[in-house]
Amino acid sequence: MRRIAFAMMQGVPPGYFMRTLMLWPILTALAMAQNQAAPPASAPGSGFVGSNACKTCHADVWMNFYKNPHYKSIASGKETEEKTGCEGCHGPAQKHVQAGGGKPTIPHAFSLMQPKEILQTCLGCHGKDMARANIQRSEHTGNDVVCTNCHSIHHAATPKFLLAKKQNELCYSCHAAQRAQFSMPSKHRVNEGFMQCSDCHNPHGSFSATWKMGQRPHMMEQGPGGETPCVKCHADKRGPFVYEHAPVRVEGCETCHAPHGSMNAKLLRRPVVLTLCLECHNGAGSFGTRNNGVPIQSAKHNMLDPKFQKCTTCHVALHGSNSDQYFLR
Amino acid sequence: MKTYIRMWTTNQIWTMALLGAALSTATLTAQQVVAPSMAQVGSPRGENTGNYNYTNSFEAGYRWSLVGGDLGEYRSDVNYRNGLRLLSSSFSIDSKDGHGHYFDQILLNTQGLGNDPYQFASLRIQKNRLYRYDLNWRSNDYFNPGLTVAGGLHRMDTVRRVQDHELTLFPQAAFRVRAGYSHNSQDGPALTTTQQFDSNSAGLPVFEDLQRRWNEFRLGADAEILGFKLTLQRRWDFYKEDTPYSSNGLVSAVGIGLANDLTVLQQFRKGAPVHGRNPGWMGNLLANHKRWAVNARMNYSRGHNDFAVNESAAGLNRFGSATSQQVLVAGNADRPVLVGDFNLSVFPTSRLTVVNNTSVSNVRIDGPSTFTDIYNGFNGGETVYFRYLGIRTVTNSTDANYRVKKWFAVYGGYRYTDRLVRSIEGFALPAFADSATSSAYETTNHLHAATVGLRFKPVKGLTASLEAEIGRADNPLTPISDKDYHTLNGRIEYRTRRLQLSSSYKQFYNINGLASYSVYASHTRNYTANASYSLKDWFSLDANYIKLHQDSVSGIAYFSGTGRSQLQNASSLFVSNVHAANLGARFAFGKRADLYVGYSITEDTGDGRATAANGVTDLSGAILAGVQTFPLTYQSPLGRLSVRISPKLRWNAGYQFYNYHEQFGLLGQYQNFHAHTGYSSVTWAF
Repeated sequence: MRRIAFAMMQGVPPGYFMRTLMLWPILTALAMAQNQAAPPASAPGSGFVGSNACKTCHADVWMNFYKNPHYKSIASGKETEEKTGCEGCHGPAQKHVQAGGGKPTIPHAFSLMQPKEILQTCLGCHGKDMARANIQRSEHTGNDVVCTNCHSIHHAATPKFLLAKKQNELCYSCHAAQRAQFSMPSKHRVNEGFMQCSDCHNPHGSFSATWKMGQRPHMMEQGPGGETPCVKCHADKRGPFVYEHAPVRVEGCETCHAPHGSMNAKLLRRPVVLTLCLECHNGAGSFGTRNNGVPIQSAKHNMLDPKFQKCTTCHVALHGSNSDQYFLR
Repeated sequence: MKTYIRMWTTNQIWTMALLGAALSTATLTAQQVVAPSMAQVGSPRGENTGNYNYTNSFEAGYRWSLVGGDLGEYRSDVNYRNGLRLLSSSFSIDSKDGHGHYFDQILLNTQGLGNDPYQFASLRIQKNRLYRYDLNWRSNDYFNPGLTVAGGLHRMDTVRRVQDHELTLFPQAAFRVRAGYSHNSQDGPALTTTQQFDSNSAGLPVFEDLQRRWNEFRLGADAEILGFKLTLQRRWDFYKEDTPYSSNGLVSAVGIGLANDLTVLQQFRKGAPVHGRNPGWMGNLLANHKRWAVNARMNYSRGHNDFAVNESAAGLNRFGSATSQQVLVAGNADRPVLVGDFNLSVFPTSRLTVVNNTSVSNVRIDGPSTFTDIYNGFNGGETVYFRYLGIRTVTNSTDANYRVKKWFAVYGGYRYTDRLVRSIEGFALPAFADSATSSAYETTNHLHAATVGLRFKPVKGLTASLEAEIGRADNPLTPISDKDYHTLNGRIEYRTRRLQLSSSYKQFYNINGLASYSVYASHTRNYTANASYSLKDWFSLDANYIKLHQDSVSGIAYFSGTGRSQLQNASSLFVSNVHAANLGARFAFGKRADLYVGYSITEDTGDGRATAANGVTDLSGAILAGVQTFPLTYQSPLGRLSVRISPKLRWNAGYQFYNYHEQFGLLGQYQNFHAHTGYSSVTWAF
């Protein structure tokens, strides 16, 4: 035995045991996944009839259901009857079958259910994902926009996420103002297919914004460090910088930019940077990090001189600089 | 066999003929496009092979464009150009019993491959219970003339590519392992400016070829323990910028239109590498029960950047004297970020939901930067600058949502936020002992906000909602930040199987500052109206109208004047009235053809003035008056046709016209353009 053990040790590369140790949780999980108990037989009087009974009348739904993500529960063969197949979502179908059909006899007929019931039914399985961790406090939930308003389980337009329409069209159906903004000359390329609304927003609700005062904007999908999602793509603006432009970090990119779209270049809130900068840099009141006003520009900035009308020509590192407090390099 | 060969040959001939026709049409008209065909290819049921069903669809063709007017603005707004494209493709394989050998599903979708400015590909491969892999790849060809920000001296012609990979092991199990990788790059030529020799000189254009890279690696796991779902994730990301800067020959201030400035940049080289990292941890605990739900998150990251600047310039200063300058900068910046959230939701009855949320975020940014300026051979010595910016925000909110009747519900909420912004500004001259000096500042900001809302469903298909929010903040950071604000938001919708009508109104008013020229007030009002109608399978119509109004009055101060400049105190009244309308109609002619026609117009009517200066004759006032409103019209009619050639083959063609028209221009520049774009393509689906 000792000889066998010794032989096994020969040629074992360094770190073998450490790697084995690291694999342990994975292997354990695999084992757990493989050893789930078989589903119990239908309890007498439970009312479950199984998906085979549904196929008879709902052949059109069943025919392509193997392409539906919910088919996983059927393929598994190990889920309990209240968590698999048609009845996993719609509830026990015995009365529905006995009545020969009809929506009122379906325990969970989604088109007849209250929004909160729909939400709770779906969260029964989908509540464990962190992406839906804030769904109870999301603005969508608060306005009765729940799962079936956006997702179409049996007639989805997208195989991923089972959306009722292509994502931007789906969002535009309620957010018409955003449709107009994305049709403006300067815009993020959502209509063109480069981006999607969910790149920046989490339609299931999000954590409070870490910029502005947290109250707005709503439902933003935060960046990797909890920052504004803009830095996921615009990584060069992320910093950290020795000289931060405080409003960028404290109030967010929206201070100067309209993120969906703008009639002005570079998604700016004003046609030229001149007025954009001067609206804050007026030296007035108790604003700014020093409580004594946001600094006014010096007298050498004669605005009649064209070179001073485009502030960013000289202040090139406006989002933050490592070498100049006035963002000149 | 003969039959097979004959059929194959026939199909090939058809395909080649159609491709040839498509290409020759494109060549003859030689112009541009829209997007992939929206036409229905028919529901592809796919082919069965063994235990799998697969579907496939390709749309390939030629895009063309013909642009008149300002090409830079066209490329900034639209940017479609000529060439062969794989306009879209879709591929799927599904196992029919959910027990595939290596996979149960593969989904692949692409758009615009082959040099479209907007390209996209997504891939999903999964095997039930074992793994799921997702890939998103995107490319954006970005052009911007930079006219309004730097008079064209900040033109960019870059490509941004983004890719995200996500692998989940045991996606249906109680213990899941996640691994991910994201990459983001920006490459391509750009212009920037440098200000040389003294701070009164001009910004001179310098060419650069952007080289920016961001990589992120993620590793994490989800576990379900005693009804709680625990998520842990470790993240590492790395940012690298190695953009080199150099002037391209002689650059003179006169050359960019500054007649009185003799500055000439004869030699210029600059290296400004930034290498950063941002490792972090994230943990989340989540539980959903019948009567309560809880969610807690903790996110910690520690960003760090190392940087250096070596900039050398030689030439003439603004008075025409020979000058040289070298600037050396080195240092690092740190940013530890801690974010925590705790949500508690309780459902005392089936009608009532109460959610309390507490969020804390703490950001500290700090770093030294050593700065050395060698001017005409004179070394001014090394100065160490350091600046600290800390932001701590604590937010607590409580929301209650109560369904009074099946057709009526109310909700309300209250939020309190406390924010502390702290900054320390300092510098030290190492040549002199104890020369370090610094100043510390603190500003606190509190917000109280309340929300109330009502929802109605008086009859089937009809929903209405009304929401209002009022907020009061003290000590806002900037003159345009939210201070005394309120919002109103109303929406009504009627929906049946074939008809959808909706309308909404939203307003946001904010008043910040009342004393002298610190006045700032803004009013935003949005109106929308939508209608969608579909008549069986052969006709559908979408129409909407949106009005976005914004006006703001801001106290501003600036220097201007002929000869010696004088301080000007003024109010900037910016007014924008955007009217946008979209109309789209789709017709299906049996199974033979689909036609889509659409029209979209976005028009800012400004404040109604006839001329940009609006009668202001004073030079200083005219600068401001000319940019207080920016009326322009951007419209785009389009049409797409898709014709069925065979059950698996369709021919598509599309045309879109763009017209961009500025009424006044900006600072004396007009960027108007019009463009004819189109495409001709063939879709093959099976």
